[in-house]
Formats: sequence, C-alpha cells, structure tokens
Amino acid sequence: MLRKKYYTALTLVGISLTLMVITVFASFLDQIVSANPPEIHRERTLILDKVSVYKGDKKTDAAPSISFLQKNIRNLQSTETISYFTTREFISFLNGKTAGHILKFTDENFWKITDFEFLEGKPFNIIDVRKGARVAVISEKTKAYFFKDGAALGKTLPMHGIAYQVIGVVKPATPFSRIYSDVYVPYTTDVNTQRTEKALEGTYNALLLAKTDDLKKVRAELRGILKKANLVSGADSVKVHAFTALEQFAKSSSFNDDEPEYGKTAIVISIVLVLFMLIPAISLVNINVTRIGERAEEIGIRKSFGATSGTLVGQLVTENIIITLIGGLIGLGLSVYASQLLVQFINTFDPLFKMPTDSFIISWRVFGFCLFSCLLLGLVSGIYPAWKMSRMDVVYALKGGNSL
Amino acid sequence: MIQLSNIEKVYRTKTIETTALNHINLNINKGEFVAIMGPSGCGKSTLLNIMGLLDTPTAGSIEIANQPVTSLSRKRLATFRNLKLGFIFQSYHLINDLSVIDNVELPLLYRKGISGAERRKRALVALEKVGLSARTKHYPNQLSGGQRQRVAIARAIIGNPEILLADEPTGNLDSAMGEEVMNLMLHLNKIDGTTIVMVTHDEHMAKKTQRIIHFFDGQQVS
Repeated sequence: MLRKKYYTALTLVGISLTLMVITVFASFLDQIVSANPPEIHRERTLILDKVSVYKGDKKTDAAPSISFLQKNIRNLQSTETISYFTTREFISFLNGKTAGHILKFTDENFWKITDFEFLEGKPFNIIDVRKGARVAVISEKTKAYFFKDGAALGKTLPMHGIAYQVIGVVKPATPFSRIYSDVYVPYTTDVNTQRTEKALEGTYNALLLAKTDDLKKVRAELRGILKKANLVSGADSVKVHAFTALEQFAKSSSFNDDEPEYGKTAIVISIVLVLFMLIPAISLVNINVTRIGERAEEIGIRKSFGATSGTLVGQLVTENIIITLIGGLIGLGLSVYASQLLVQFINTFDPLFKMPTDSFIISWRVFGFCLFSCLLLGLVSGIYPAWKMSRMDVVYALKGGNSL
Repeated sequence: MIQLSNIEKVYRTKTIETTALNHINLNINKGEFVAIMGPSGCGKSTLLNIMGLLDTPTAGSIEIANQPVTSLSRKRLATFRNLKLGFIFQSYHLINDLSVIDNVELPLLYRKGISGAERRKRALVALEKVGLSARTKHYPNQLSGGQRQRVAIARAIIGNPEILLADEPTGNLDSAMGEEVMNLMLHLNKIDGTTIVMVTHDEHMAKKTQRIIHFFDGQQVS
C-alpha cells in the first residue's frame, strides 16, 4: 500500500467519498424506516394520514379530521393503542431572533405508542387531555433554545398566544420521522380544530399500534368499518390509507401515492446503489488494474517460487479489502461532516425552520451496513484485477509486464 | 534429473513465427553443474524457463526428478516449483519493499506446515551460508549487486531444492563479485549435491562447471 503512494491515495479518496455518500444515504434510510427509539414499534405502527373518497370516476384525497378518526377508528379490535396527532408550527421571537418550531397536538396514547426518553418531568395524561390542560412536553433542543441551561419544568412557553406550562423534556426523535416535533401539547388545546376540521376532511393523522405483526388484520378491520358506515353522502366508497414507515417510504420511492410498490422501490434503491457503488467500483477496478499492474515483477517472483494463482488472488484481494476498510473508516468520519453540510444546505431553503445539524445519526446498524459495503467494494474492485494479474505469464511478469 | 525430449518453442504472432527452440533433447544428471552458453537470442533463457516450468514448450516433454511435468496443472506446477526448484536471476528479482530476511523466506511462505519461527530460522541459516547474516534487516536497495545476488541465492536454496536454475547469475556483477557468487554455487553443488543449470555468456565461469552445452539459433550444437 505504501509503496505506491499515488495509487493508494487515489484509491482511498475514491473509497472514502463513496462510503461517505453511502453512509449518509444509509443513515437517512435507517432513520425513516427502522425501529429506532423512540419509534421502537415501527414495524407494527401504522400511520393513517389520508382518506380517499370515491364518487363515480372522481377521487378526492384529504387528511382525515379528528372527529372522523374518533368516530370511526376508535375501537379497532386488531390494534393495541390508537393515538391522534396533527402537526403545526409556531414562530418565536427571542433575543431579537426569529425561529420556527414544530408543534404537535396529540393525546396521552402518543406516549404509549412511542418510547421517548424523558430527561425531565413526565408526559401529559388522559386527565390533562380531557380537561384541555395547557401543558407541554418539549424536546431537549427546544429547552436549550428557550431556557438555556436553566430549569424548564414549570416554566411557561407561549405558543399561538397561549401560555403552556412545560411538564416534560424529551430526547428528540429524528427530524425525518413523522412523530418529530419541538413541542407536544394535548390536542384538546388546539384552537384551530373548529376552523380546520370538517366532517371527514381535516388535518389529523392517527398512529395505530397493531396487536401483532399481521397488519393485514388492521387494514381488513378498517375496510370493514368503513364499508358499514355511511360516511359521505353520495360517495361510492371511502378508503383510509394506513401504512408503516417502511411502507410509506416504499410508496414515496415507488412514486405511488396509494400503495407501496416494493419492486419499484428496489429499482430506485438499486439505481442509487449503482450510481454510488458500481460506478466507483468500476473506477476502483481500473485504479487497481494499474496499481496491481505496477507489481507485475513481484507477482512474477512470487509465482516463480511457488505462489499459486489462488494464493495471489487471496493476497491481493486481502490487501484491497484492507485499503477499502481504511477508506471506509475515513468515509465514515467524512460522513459526519458531510451530513452536517447537507443539513446546512437544506436549512438554507427554509431558514426559519432549521433542522438540527446532528440530524443524521450513524447507528450500529448503519455502521454494520457500511462495513459490509466496504467488504463488498473491496471484493468487487479487487477480485478482477487480482485474478487477471494472477493469471499473468510468469516470464512476462518477471520482465515487469507493462500492462495486463 | 532433468530430461527434455524433443522440446520445441515457437512464438507466433499474426504475421511472424519465430522458432526459439528446435527439437532439444537434453539430459542433466543428478548433482551435475551444467553451463549453457551461446549468443544472445539463441534460446538459452527460454530453455532455462522451460526447465524451470516458468514457460511451457510448444511441443515435447519434460521430466524432472523422474516425474513427467508437461501435463501438470498450474497449481501443481506451482507446488512442484516450490518444492524442487530454485531460481537465481541475472537482475536478482528481489522484492524491494521486503527486507533481506523476508525476501529469503518467500519460498517457504508457499509451503504448507512451516511456522513463522521455522521460516525465520531457516532464512537465517540460508543467509549464514551466503555470508549475509549481518544484513537481515537491510532492504535490497541498501546492498551492493554482489550482496543482492547472494540474497537471491539464499532465497533459492532456503527450500532445499534439488535443482538450481541460474540465468546469468554473474552477468550484472564485476569480476570479483562474480567470482564470489560462482564460488558459492560451486560450493552448493559440491557440498549439498545440488544440481545446477547455469546460463552464461562468461566462458571463464562456464569452464568452472562440469559440462558446457552450446546453443545456436535454438539448437544444441555441442
């Protein structure tokens, strides 16, 4: 590796940049689909976020209203818990600075479906929700923003002209999640409900925690309920869309707003991987062909003294994997900075609602995936040049074999 | 020890066909020290490469240590080379990034069942034989031409091969160093009984061997 510094450096740059992109991509995917705290039940948590009304050839889509959700999906037998939530925003003016914050109106069940780590205080309960208590659970970052290092519990936070009392501080969820928010308050304090919520259409979503992993049961029960209920006069049918985070991702990545199409998702992911892995791998193959080609004489010597093609392939591929792993580690380090740069870039589009700079979390799962990618890249980019080199005629190799 | 029967080597391109070796029949006995002489391009090195199983003949058969080797697979040829043959090249062919001792150990890396400690021990013995035990940690580019060739000899003999094939081993050395290397090979032949085939241009060196074979235009002339 050290003998051909130029090629080693070139290889390391290529690998580390490739792995950096893959790590950021994997980190993003991990956060939107995997069961990470506080969303530890993601695989059996359905997000009901859309209602479709069919009238003749016409289809109207909308987010459901809180009244629709409460009336129709309150008592599903196949679910363990149901929670309602809607996302709003509020603007704060603090020390001459303006900042946007995400606000979620939700209920007591939200804290049962999720597993937020409470750093201080506690969540609001059924009594708080029933009586419309103006209490708030805020994220650690919101606390730091409004209260600096001081205590937050018991302090008030004005939102939409109403003062809420802070009763809990939680570690934030990932900003890529549907449950992410800076502040959580009881939905019964939502002053806009009357204005925004109609009979069927509204602004609310529901989290349905299924009893088992068999999500078909939940969907079948939903269909059954909607069939029975006469929800919209003149409508042929009403359909609610309830999907897990993975299914939501599959829907958006397969460009189908109604149903997840995993085949298309696989194609999209494959295209991304081809762009980010295959093309660099081909470049690495070329670099390796040249790099290994520079060692023709050494290979000739080793073969003269009894090295078999298999042994040489093993040696060259192992060396390549070591380089790839070193490049991978550099790439992993770079991905931390790259993700922060990406967040800063995203934040330029909406300076009011800034994403935290540490939004991309590199979990052990992501780390493992990157390690696997390194090994794969090392193998893919190393095997062909090594095999080709190991087959080189010994006499030709001893003369320095100018090319393969 | 080495029996070549009707060996032919033809290099073919789309337009030209060059015969490097033409019907060579040669028998080298066990313990013999043979010199192959001839003008440049007469096929000496090609013959040595074929004897060393580094190259394959276009026609003919080879038997080494009573074993027909012409039809052996690449893998078995590699093992055979490792066990039976040792090479000394004109341009030494040492790996510059490896220390002297690591270069000498190289053939044993490809031999099963030899531990690292055993390899090191045997490398030290081989270096002792060529008088370079004080240079184990040096790198090839820190040595003189004569010293490099002695390292190459140590590497060639570490595996106790029955046959040593030397392609102009003194070709890059001045006369004093050439003598030193030649004496070393004579010693190996005499004391260890190693069969040696040496390609050389140097008649003075060739005369020190037991038999001189002359080549001209791909044919054995004497």
